[in-house]
Amino acid sequence: MDFDWTPDEQAFRERLRDFLDTTLPDDWERFSQHGPASPDLTRYAQTFCAALAEEDLLIPHWPVEIGGQGQDPWHQTILAEEMWIAGEPRGGQYMNVNWIGPTLIRYGTPEQQARYLPPIAQGKALWCQGFSEPGSGSDLASLRTRAVADGGDYVVNGQKIWTSYAGLADTCFLLCRTSEDRKRGITILLVPMDTPGITVRQIPSIIGEGDIHEVFFDDMRVPASARLGEEGQAWEIIAYSLRNERLGIPRYALARSALDRAVSILQERGDFVREAVRIEAAGAAALCEAARLASYAIVTRRAEGETIGQESSSARYATVMCERRVCEFIVEHLPEALADAHPYLKMHHQRGIVAGIAAGAAEIQLNIIASDVLGLPREAR
Amino acid sequence: MQVALNEDQRAIRDALDALARPFEEAPVHEAPRVAASPDFARALAESGFLDVACDPDLGTATAGVVVERLARLPFAVEAATRAFFAPLLGDVSGPVCLVEGTRTPRLVRFLEAGACVIVVEEQGVSYFTADEQQLRRESESLFAYPMASLLEIPEERAGLPITPGEARTRARAALAAEAAGLMAAALASVCAHLSERTQFGRKLATFQALRHRLAEAQVRTNGVYWMAMKAATTLDPADAALAAWHAQESATSTVYDFHQFLGAMGMTLEHPLHFWTYRLKALIGELGGRGASAAAAADALWG
Ligand SMILES: Cc1cc2nc3c(=O)[nH]c(=O)nc-3n(C[C@H](O)[C@H](O)[C@H](O)COP(=O)(O)OP(=O)(O)OC[C@H]3O[C@@H](n4cnc5c(N)ncnc54)[C@H](O)[C@@H]3O)c2cc1C
Repeated sequence: MDFDWTPDEQAFRERLRDFLDTTLPDDWERFSQHGPASPDLTRYAQTFCAALAEEDLLIPHWPVEIGGQGQDPWHQTILAEEMWIAGEPRGGQYMNVNWIGPTLIRYGTPEQQARYLPPIAQGKALWCQGFSEPGSGSDLASLRTRAVADGGDYVVNGQKIWTSYAGLADTCFLLCRTSEDRKRGITILLVPMDTPGITVRQIPSIIGEGDIHEVFFDDMRVPASARLGEEGQAWEIIAYSLRNERLGIPRYALARSALDRAVSILQERGDFVREAVRIEAAGAAALCEAARLASYAIVTRRAEGETIGQESSSARYATVMCERRVCEFIVEHLPEALADAHPYLKMHHQRGIVAGIAAGAAEIQLNIIASDVLGLPREAR
Repeated sequence: MQVALNEDQRAIRDALDALARPFEEAPVHEAPRVAASPDFARALAESGFLDVACDPDLGTATAGVVVERLARLPFAVEAATRAFFAPLLGDVSGPVCLVEGTRTPRLVRFLEAGACVIVVEEQGVSYFTADEQQLRRESESLFAYPMASLLEIPEERAGLPITPGEARTRARAALAAEAAGLMAAALASVCAHLSERTQFGRKLATFQALRHRLAEAQVRTNGVYWMAMKAATTLDPADAALAAWHAQESATSTVYDFHQFLGAMGMTLEHPLHFWTYRLKALIGELGGRGASAAAAADALWG
């Protein structure tokens, strides 16, 4: 066991902090509260990611052969933590570099790679993820958006929902049904968002302007060359994508940072004296630490070359617990943060409240832990 | 950063498991509420596992590994305080106990004649060897540890070269490591029971209401484990206080659930669950309880 960073890792973190300090605009905190998918932030992310790419900080964890530096999972974790603590100035591009790029590297045709990888590596691409549908949230495999082969094309009809970034994205990583087989009947299409037959409608939300959308497909036609992998291979491919993304976003890092900020605000005005408040804050910090270490235990295994499966659900649920506690602490002791007094804390709240829902709901994580970590007999269905 | 046991630690854990294997069965017929095993205590004392912290290459980090592992046994063995304070104490036989302040009478785990009692006060840390007159055995205690009341603390005590803060840090790390092992063992025994018992034509473990709370207990147990290991490694006051808080907080919720899920079986002395849960109850109240652990964490983190 070793709970220290190596000098190299520490230097990498400091380099990132310096970069963020000098690169982010002065009013960053104020405008980051609009949410990582807001139009303002999405546009700014193009500038920011291009600057990251200039410094070789956009895809350092990609293999050297395709422009990365082959950095280990610890560097990837540090990068993700520092970006998320800052309010994720990469906007939706975090998806590109974390899993869309690596998935294309593994499963894309040479043409798909030539078309899509360079813009990702330069920080110019914006993708959206067309998975969820009105009738298919947690039960993703029930999705019904249909792609029918027609000559050399696919014709797509159906609807996606809760799609982040769809308003401004240039490409959609779209899951469609091509046969009735529940999991092996799903196929991935890489769809330019300006294809005729796509309609995007923004859904107003409490978590920020432009964050989620509905996307409708009416007789949308794409060539068969838009298919990623084989017909029916989507489930296998997503499992690979998730392997790169199992731990999800390092939310514990922003939660802890928000907690520290809240405490320092309370201290400045003399309100961090009562034992009751101090005890609450310490409890929230403990849950952040529990989530951080649970995540690091998984990263350790990844760094040693292990393939991580369902056991990362435990770290993800720990992260939900800490997000919740930090949000509650701020709501209780600094309610003005949810108005306009402390943009950083509001930014955290906007991102924190979805921790238990987006990218695999909390109860689904508990189901996975029960079956695959505790080894309990499966639920009756 | 390496949040995993290293090779030495894994080897020590495995050797410890081998030593403990003959003693794994819960002793349901003798000493039903406490379950101590003098044979195992002797084997353990001779093995040197409790002195791993004296080896600078192994340190208190490995003591944490040992303590967590031993806590999983149905037998109560005094390991935690001894293992974390061994480098300071030199040669002690008997169990090592720890009390904060000089208030008496007070319940103390593992207290017996010949036990080494560490006294942590604001002005310093000292210890003495307890004799029969200073204690009263509490054989009616529910706590599943050998318990006695400490009736008096002698004026004459030897000093320990450690500050009160450092002593509390070690005690908190030890508590968290022990709690992690207790929670892991209790969770495993509850999962085993629910995977076997059928009601309404189904294994109880297939009911989601129970599965989710067990899964949350797994998340807590895992968190307490790594926080305890970190505290044992760094001996940092914030790490130790956070670990102790998380252990005590998690013990309060999981102990309730574990008993609930075992139904009447959990109330019997036939099932070993009570060994772990009633020890956890004792740890919830140690070192000032959750409030004191949280307050110490806040002091260490934010001043
Ligand atoms: C901010 C945000 C951004 C998102 N961005 C995208 C995106 O870009 N692309 C995309 O495709 N999707 C996106 N989503 C959707 C997200 O993936 C879904 O919200 C998620 O999968 C849960 O689905 P649902 O909302 O339909 O909830 P439901 O599946 O309806 O679940 C509702 C509740 O029921 C519980 N539940 C469901 N099944 C079970 C079960 N078997 N056992 C116990 N409890 C259960 C859930 O845990 C949850 O608490 C986003 C969501 C949010 C909040």
